[in-house]
Amino acid sequence: MLTSYAGVVVVLIIGFIFPGILLGISRILQASHRNPTPVKLQTYECGLETQGETWVQFKISYFMYALVFVAFDVETIFLYPWAIKFQSLGLFAIVEMFIFIAILVIGFWYAWKEGALEWM
Amino acid sequence: MDVNLSLLSIEIATVVLALGVLIIGLLVPKEQKYGLGYLVTIGLAIILFVSFSFYGINTKMFDGMYIIDDYSVFFKQLFLISATLVTLAATLYVKKIGTNYGEFFIMIVFATLGMMILSSAGDLITLYLALETMTISFYILTGFRKGDSKSIEAAVKYLILGALSSGVLLFGLSLVYGMTGTTVISEVALKIGEMASMPPALVVGVVFLVGGFGFKISAVPFQMWSPDVYEGAPTPVTAFLAVGSKAAAFAVLMRVFLIAFPDFSAQWRVLFAALAALTIIVGNLVAIPQTNIKRMLAYSSIAQAGYIMTGVVAANTAGVKGVAFYGMLYVFATIGAFTVVMNFSANTGSDEIKDYAGLAQRSPLLAAVLTVCLLSMAGIPPLAGFAGKFYLFSSIVSQGYLWLVIIGLLMSMASVYYYLSVAKVMYMADPQDDTPIIVPAGAKATLLITMAVTVFLGVYPQPLSVLANMAAKALFF
Repeated sequence: MLTSYAGVVVVLIIGFIFPGILLGISRILQASHRNPTPVKLQTYECGLETQGETWVQFKISYFMYALVFVAFDVETIFLYPWAIKFQSLGLFAIVEMFIFIAILVIGFWYAWKEGALEWM
Repeated sequence: MDVNLSLLSIEIATVVLALGVLIIGLLVPKEQKYGLGYLVTIGLAIILFVSFSFYGINTKMFDGMYIIDDYSVFFKQLFLISATLVTLAATLYVKKIGTNYGEFFIMIVFATLGMMILSSAGDLITLYLALETMTISFYILTGFRKGDSKSIEAAVKYLILGALSSGVLLFGLSLVYGMTGTTVISEVALKIGEMASMPPALVVGVVFLVGGFGFKISAVPFQMWSPDVYEGAPTPVTAFLAVGSKAAAFAVLMRVFLIAFPDFSAQWRVLFAALAALTIIVGNLVAIPQTNIKRMLAYSSIAQAGYIMTGVVAANTAGVKGVAFYGMLYVFATIGAFTVVMNFSANTGSDEIKDYAGLAQRSPLLAAVLTVCLLSMAGIPPLAGFAGKFYLFSSIVSQGYLWLVIIGLLMSMASVYYYLSVAKVMYMADPQDDTPIIVPAGAKATLLITMAVTVFLGVYPQPLSVLANMAAKALFF
């Protein structure tokens, strides 16, 4: 009875010890807290430093493009299985797909007319 | 593929109406767009009349994923009636908002479409898609007054809490699917019937479903979003949200719980009874100190959801009938009250109850309609609310839930206080500014219809009662 739970205890013990070992090793290896220099305290070891504020405002119209793109992306996902099977599905499926595309085109037309695609 | 598409003609007509109005809105110049509201009203009214021919069909489509029965037709008519009344009443208010006039009505039609599919959903995935169609339309509608920070705040709150509740609901649905291996509601019941004992995960799933639906019907303790959203949203949207969204959630809730989980109704009935009692008590007591009429109506609508929930507790034909009946007359009372509020605020820019002083002198029609609607919600005998509460409470009184009936009755009496104090302000107090209030023709029609129906159904509830009974029987068919 007890032996069947021994595995759990072993995993628990290793689980508690292992993070300690990792933290200990990194403490031994790290140099910056013993000998800090400006280079060692930089955010990135490699890569470009940011210029100015990192909290910048993005243009909201970018998301309009993203939304319109997603609509057409999803349309394509539906078009693929239809394109593979439409010979066996017959006329009904063709008409149905045209209705589906027509609904999307109306939405696209609306977005265009309302100026969602204009970069002001 | 053998699909009788004519069975879907109500839904197809609704889509065509929405897209058609969208196209017309793109083609006509801006100053001519004000006809679009009436176009939507007429379209919805025509669909409403056509829908009467769908009674008595009672069939399933797509292997049980979509159900056309008297129950779904009854609720579809409820949604169509509320959408028609709201669009008829809202023209002046939406004109005052100033932007995107046509889109407002289009979003209302799309929300209606979501509700209609929801009432017909026979499958958990259809259910979820329909629910999101409805809720996403409502997110947009709630934030429709783009310049008003209150409206935006309401929309953001609704979006975040709505997403949370959708997540809870989805988690519940996935647990139900995981335990039973099917998403068709009627097959879930069969699978549960074969089980020897209730798996705990299924219990968790059902509790999550109660939480998810409880949010949509704003049952206490899931009600915290509704007063803020109701207050911030444009008033026509608030009316539609209070009526349509709630009724749709009740329609699908009853289908899921009564059809999929009848085997352990003993457990969830207790849960719903506790929720109903809490909702009735908290809704009514918190409504009393409110000074803003939209907040007051929001809390009163929470309390109304509690009354309606007693019909779910009954879990039989009489209970479902009570819910359907009360839901329908709740539509008229709520839309009547909110139409008064929206026209009052379109004229005076205020939603405070104290500004309603002397409304009876400034506009006798508004004062009369508001009084009738509020008294109907309180359940005063000659009005429709009394008949509705009678059906609801009598369905549970014989089933050992006498305590719930007593709570309902006591709290109905308490509610008379805050309903009547509004009437007192309107009739007894003197107006500070006695310019008459202009009510446009469309809103006048809505007001007269809601008042007439509320009085008529109170005196002669028979026709609606027969329809509601038919709907309730179809659910268990």
